[in-house]
Amino acid sequence: MADDDRNHDRRPDPDALLALAERDRRGKLTVFLGAAPGVGKTYAMLSRAARLRADGADIVVGLVETHGRSETAGLLEGLEVLPRTRASHRGRVLEEFDLDAALKRRPSIVIVDELAHSNPDGFRHPKRHQDIEELIVAGIDVWTALNIQHLESLADLVTQITGITVRERVPDVVLKRADEVLLVDLSPSELIERLKEGKVYLPESANRAVDRFFRLGNLTALRELALRRTADRVDDQMVDYLKQNAIDGPWATGERLLVCVGSDTLSEKVVRVASRLASGLNAPWMVVSIERPDREVETPERLQRIETLFRLAEQLGAETRRVIGSDFVDEILKLARREHATQIVIGTRRRNRLNRFLSKSLPEALAKRASGFGVYIVTPEAGDAGRSKRTLPVPQLSSLWLATVIAVGFVAIAAAIGKVIDTIVDLPNISLLFLLAVLGASVSGGYLAAFLAAILSTLAYNFLFIDPLHTFTIAAPHEVFALFVFLAVAIIAGGFASRIREQAEIAGTRAAALQSLYDFSRKLAGTAKTEDAIWLTVSHLQARLKRKVVLLLPRQGDLSMAAAWPPDTELDVTDLTAARWTHDKRELAGHGTGTLPNSRFEFRPLLGPHGIVGVCGIEHREDLDLNAERALTAILDQTAIALDRARLAEETVQQAARLEGERYREALLSSISHDLRTPLATITGAVTGLRQLGERMTAENRDDLLQSIEEESGRMSRFIANLLDMSRIEAGTLKPKQEWMDVTDVVQSAVERTRKYAPGRLIETGIAPDLPLIRGDSVLLSQVLFNLLDNAVKYGGDESINVYARRDGKDVLISVTDLGKGVSTEDLDRIFEKFYRRGKPDGRAPGTGLGLSIARGFVEAMGGRIHAESPAWKKKGTRIIMRFPVAEPATMEPR
Amino acid sequence: MTVSRILVVDDEPQIQRFLKPALTAAGYEVIEALTGAEALKAVATQAPDLVILDLGLPDMDGKDVIASLRGWSEVPIVILSARDRESEKIAALDLGADDYVEKPFGIGELTARIRNALRHRGRRDAIPEIMEVDGLTIDPIKRLVSRDGDTVHLTPKEYDLLLLLTRHTGRVVTHRTLLTTVWGPAHSDDLHYLRVFIGQLRQKIERDPTQPRILRTEPGAGYRMAERD
Repeated sequence: MADDDRNHDRRPDPDALLALAERDRRGKLTVFLGAAPGVGKTYAMLSRAARLRADGADIVVGLVETHGRSETAGLLEGLEVLPRTRASHRGRVLEEFDLDAALKRRPSIVIVDELAHSNPDGFRHPKRHQDIEELIVAGIDVWTALNIQHLESLADLVTQITGITVRERVPDVVLKRADEVLLVDLSPSELIERLKEGKVYLPESANRAVDRFFRLGNLTALRELALRRTADRVDDQMVDYLKQNAIDGPWATGERLLVCVGSDTLSEKVVRVASRLASGLNAPWMVVSIERPDREVETPERLQRIETLFRLAEQLGAETRRVIGSDFVDEILKLARREHATQIVIGTRRRNRLNRFLSKSLPEALAKRASGFGVYIVTPEAGDAGRSKRTLPVPQLSSLWLATVIAVGFVAIAAAIGKVIDTIVDLPNISLLFLLAVLGASVSGGYLAAFLAAILSTLAYNFLFIDPLHTFTIAAPHEVFALFVFLAVAIIAGGFASRIREQAEIAGTRAAALQSLYDFSRKLAGTAKTEDAIWLTVSHLQARLKRKVVLLLPRQGDLSMAAAWPPDTELDVTDLTAARWTHDKRELAGHGTGTLPNSRFEFRPLLGPHGIVGVCGIEHREDLDLNAERALTAILDQTAIALDRARLAEETVQQAARLEGERYREALLSSISHDLRTPLATITGAVTGLRQLGERMTAENRDDLLQSIEEESGRMSRFIANLLDMSRIEAGTLKPKQEWMDVTDVVQSAVERTRKYAPGRLIETGIAPDLPLIRGDSVLLSQVLFNLLDNAVKYGGDESINVYARRDGKDVLISVTDLGKGVSTEDLDRIFEKFYRRGKPDGRAPGTGLGLSIARGFVEAMGGRIHAESPAWKKKGTRIIMRFPVAEPATMEPR
Repeated sequence: MTVSRILVVDDEPQIQRFLKPALTAAGYEVIEALTGAEALKAVATQAPDLVILDLGLPDMDGKDVIASLRGWSEVPIVILSARDRESEKIAALDLGADDYVEKPFGIGELTARIRNALRHRGRRDAIPEIMEVDGLTIDPIKRLVSRDGDTVHLTPKEYDLLLLLTRHTGRVVTHRTLLTTVWGPAHSDDLHYLRVFIGQLRQKIERDPTQPRILRTEPGAGYRMAERD
């Protein structure tokens, strides 16, 4: 058993294997890493390619810059080189890597030089590493080259070492995720040698920078960075290998870093330092920012800075998190414990002596209270103006003006009232009135007004009420003390009051935002259809964000615009491509993202519980503030759920329609089989009976059987005729003639036909003598009348049947009335439906359920109308009424 | 021999119209009923010798008519059914109907079914006498089966199956009845048992197993032992 347990424990980590399998589906990324330009990365890449090519590998060159070096160019011979795409950039024509050509060609390996390259505007991705990522996702292996100084986390270090600012940067995760990193190494002295020989290509404009860059010291430092990075990777791979093969280890150091950042400029340095520290310790790291719950987070610029910082941290491979809490130290420690962090990284500001005396800095407080954590403090550079950026926000002139007016107003009123009271009674605590004024000013004018009011009050109190009056001098020493106490109390109370006002305002904004969101979700909950939901969403978003909003939904396999506000908003090809990208990859695209950033819109996926339901595009103006961002996220989430729900509802309706169709077909089948089988059974039975037992029957019985055969044959042929008529109506091939008809003739012929088939029934006709002619098909009308009479015979009981025809305004009106049980009001419309029958619920009524439906089809084809009334007469019976327009006699040709 | 009285239950007047003269001519007395309620009343008051029952009735399901009849009467029931109502037909047979005729039918077919049902009336489960069909002799008392004088060796299950069909000679026995009687209620759906055993039986007792003349298949319903020739 013990053995089993051990084996169980030593099974490979499933997550590690899963990550391996995941990687198998993607293409592999091979990075040729060098310390500096000119070490021979391209050369190494191409000579390796040539060897593989000779072995028959499907390897093509997507883009390689030979910089006119003949030995490198020579290596290109025999390799397939993809054509480049041209783009004009600031008036110059540039040749760029053609991503789509590479995707279309689908080689097993493609070589794309210069990982750190930036694409010109108008390309799908702004950075080449994003192009490469797309190739890898498509399952194509990519070889590329990178100089160590382009690595994001080393950017400030490189600047420090070489004094050159590196602009083109590659996120560390790209290198971290690379499947293979090959170090192309050359000793610094050799490199300088090569440079002198002119073997290293460099743009001429950069000559001076080159001299600064290619110094032995610089190159040695860079070489060390490259070597160390490669060594780190080897270490990572070793750990991966150990995990995958279940080899016990000391694997990782088990360190976890928690990095605290704010909106100050030092924070960027904190992140970079933490990144290097994490990579050196081989530890995961998390970047957090902490907001106060009671303060509407600072200004948009500061927020933006935190956002940028988070993006940088993510690129460097960190996890990011926002925390809300008032006690910073407490929140940091709580999070550190929850996340099992071992070290906390935090930046410190240079503080002046007074500051240091008044309060402890955050790092100090942290160091004091943190137990069991290492605290790593990042300090600013000597000349770094970490402090200068943290100036108090300068109040705008208008608000200063307003605050002054309020402060002066309140103090003046207090002084006036004080003077009046002073003349009536001798009030010792007149200063309380001024305190009231300070509170009033702070509530209506904010902190600035409170501060001004406190100062003004002190002066006014001194000037007006303290002896000697009307001077700013004070006679009694205890009055001096009282005045200072008053000033302190006024400032503090004013501060509190203005804080309360601020918080009330914030609460108000939040409540308004919540209310707006609540209204939206209530309206959304009321929509059942996709169409309603999307229009509600775009109009609400437009009203909330004050910018153009579009919503795209997948329809028939393609994404198309479903709603936009304002409704005439149009999308161009770039926008649509970005939207499709969002839909396919379920990630942001368009403006402000890594994909097609020159689109005017930023596209966000709408993710419902059952996957993506649509894409929402928001026109880009300035960045959204935190509130708007939150509202947007909430609205899009709700919309996604509503759309998902609407889609389900629509599917249910379709399902119901299909079921209905199924039921209809079943009714049709059972009807046809019954209506054909009964006459057939009668005929077969009668014929066989006559043949086998005929001589034993009476003559009367034989006659009756023969007659039943005749009648049933007639019934069957009528049924078949009905079916044919119905299919003609359904197929739309019914083309009634437009001939002149005499209604009298048609009615007579139909009545005669019915009498033959139902000899016992009394049919009365009443036709107006001067009935005008109508246009139509007399055969069809006769069939209609016959069907109506047939129904009257079946359902009319034993009473007489009446057929009337008369003129009614511009119509000729023909009616057939029976005096049977009639039809209930709710069934009056349904009797014209196919296979609807009055009578028995099992569908075995005497009729076919087609007669009235055919009648309606024929009448409408001839341009007439038909409807039913019940009861018809004395609470009994049914009347079917047809109306045909009177034909104009002028068009009639006299014979 | 007294004249057998037949109750025809059908709501279609046309069917009644040809059945009455035909059955009268064939020597039966005919009573008519148009609904299930009328039928139950007629069986109770007029004691017909046989009932011909259409399954589709206006007032109640034909199967319910059989179920209530079988509560107190052993009168043979022949049902009139349609091909598209296969499951109803089998349910009716399982409920205790004796036989069925599919619409449209010839009078000869119907009268044959009537004769057969009448012959077995009153001895539904009686042990039959020695029985001979197409050269096959079955002696239930001695439990002996022989073909043209040679003994046929049957397994116990094969014999049970043959005996059950013999007891209902001329009438259809449903799959369910055969399976629950021979194998037990738990096997009521194991149709493949039946197929295998009927196949084996035919190999042993039929002259030409590919053209069975003794054990006839009633598609979808069950098997029928042919009448004595």
